[in-house]
Amino acid sequence: MNDTIKKHKRNFDDAANAALFIAAFIGVWQLVFTLGIFPKISLPSPTMVTETFVKIIFNGTLFWGVGVTLGRLLAAFAVSITLGTLVGFTMIKFKSFGKTLNSFSAGLLAFPSIAWVPFSILLIGFNEFGIMFVVVMSSVFSIMISTYSSIRNIPPIYLDAAKNMGAKGFSLFRHVTIPAATPSLIIGLRQAWSFAWHAVIGAEILMSIVGLGHILSVGREFLDMSQVIASMITIFTIGLLVDRFLLHKLEDKIRAKWGLDNHR
Amino acid sequence: MTKLQAKNIVKHFDHNGNSVVALDGVNLNVEEGDFVCIVGPSGCGKSTFLNIVAGLEKPDSGEILLNGKPISDPGPDRTMVFQEGALFPWLKVIDNVEFGLKMAGIPTDERREISQRYLDMMQLTKFADSYTYQLSTGMKQRVAIARALAMDPEILLMDEPFAALDSQTRDLLLVELQLIWERTKKTIIFVTHNISESVILGNKVEVFKNRPSKIKKEIIIDYRRPRLAEDENLQQYYHQILDELKSEVIARTKDEIQ
Repeated sequence: MNDTIKKHKRNFDDAANAALFIAAFIGVWQLVFTLGIFPKISLPSPTMVTETFVKIIFNGTLFWGVGVTLGRLLAAFAVSITLGTLVGFTMIKFKSFGKTLNSFSAGLLAFPSIAWVPFSILLIGFNEFGIMFVVVMSSVFSIMISTYSSIRNIPPIYLDAAKNMGAKGFSLFRHVTIPAATPSLIIGLRQAWSFAWHAVIGAEILMSIVGLGHILSVGREFLDMSQVIASMITIFTIGLLVDRFLLHKLEDKIRAKWGLDNHR
Repeated sequence: MTKLQAKNIVKHFDHNGNSVVALDGVNLNVEEGDFVCIVGPSGCGKSTFLNIVAGLEKPDSGEILLNGKPISDPGPDRTMVFQEGALFPWLKVIDNVEFGLKMAGIPTDERREISQRYLDMMQLTKFADSYTYQLSTGMKQRVAIARALAMDPEILLMDEPFAALDSQTRDLLLVELQLIWERTKKTIIFVTHNISESVILGNKVEVFKNRPSKIKKEIIIDYRRPRLAEDENLQQYYHQILDELKSEVIARTKDEIQ
């Protein structure tokens, strides 16, 4: 009982601190605006950005953009997860293939998503599939490498114990390999998600006629900084919400169940 | 009746490019219902031997016969209790105990009943729905024993299962294990570096030589049970084993320093 009260109080304090931080940020922004350091057109005030927000919410631009972007992202991410895990499993199954591919991993993971855009335009074109291709290429390697290393880092004693109790083949894989690798797989999933999110916005800025990235780039073309900032805030908020309330929550849940958060 | 036979087991390891002979012709006969303890200096290859019996490692030459038939792969007829328990943290206690039964394709109701019985035996009834991180080290080892027994193995293999326990918990489990052995009539091979453990538990104690390892001496301990750690009459066996082991431990230490 006491613990729940404490927890609520902590949550409340966290929220209060976050609100205070946002207020301070807006305060500084307003101050810089009032001092007139930048011309109005380069740096609008918080109120002007709020007005733009209200405008693009009520004319439907924002919802449509967010919907399209998330739709692309989810479809491409699903492809990434499927392909990445399959290749990851193959790397485990065929050791020298796995070793070779793994030795390229640093280059694959560090490869900037934007650098896929010209390739994708020439290969596939200015269309949905072109954007999705960029997103897939930007996140699939992260899934692949994390699948490979999560499975390889399973403590051998779990596998020994399982084999000792008669587990083999697919049931060993399903009942031991996968659950033993799960906490580490989730970390890879979070990383891949953030790569995919970078990629979809980047690709939309350069390749799209709808979506959040496109709203951003229209803002630039029409010298509408309010719209640029409003899209940036939206991108920030979605990234934060998905990680905090979906992926992070999932990771915490799994870590707790696996007993990894038990610092007694 | 001979339950398990190890015939001339030889095993090499590669260590920094050198080939090290771990086991150099280990021969062992285990009769049905035996409680065999293997003692030896650390690093002498006694755990390797147990892994070979379990089928987790392959010998370079020699063979293991279970009920007269050679074995090569791991199997639930030889279940192992590992030093660190090796319980699965993603499963509840009862699901850990049921794991092997599930792999064997035994229906849910039946395996629930079996695992419940062994949890009761190990006094873990209350903890059936706990996760393993919620248990103490001693309780984890109880679960590991219940899990191994639930498979109803031909032979139970134990690899220093009490090494990480505090001495009170260990003394308690040493008594319990003897009672379980008497109740279930299981054949047990128990590896330890702790001489008193071997004296308390074993009706046969096999002393392993330092590397290259083989069995140096078998000591029969015919003494009433349950044996207690503080029983003075066990001292003579203790010293008998210690005499055999002392020179091996010294040899081992020399190996390590050089």
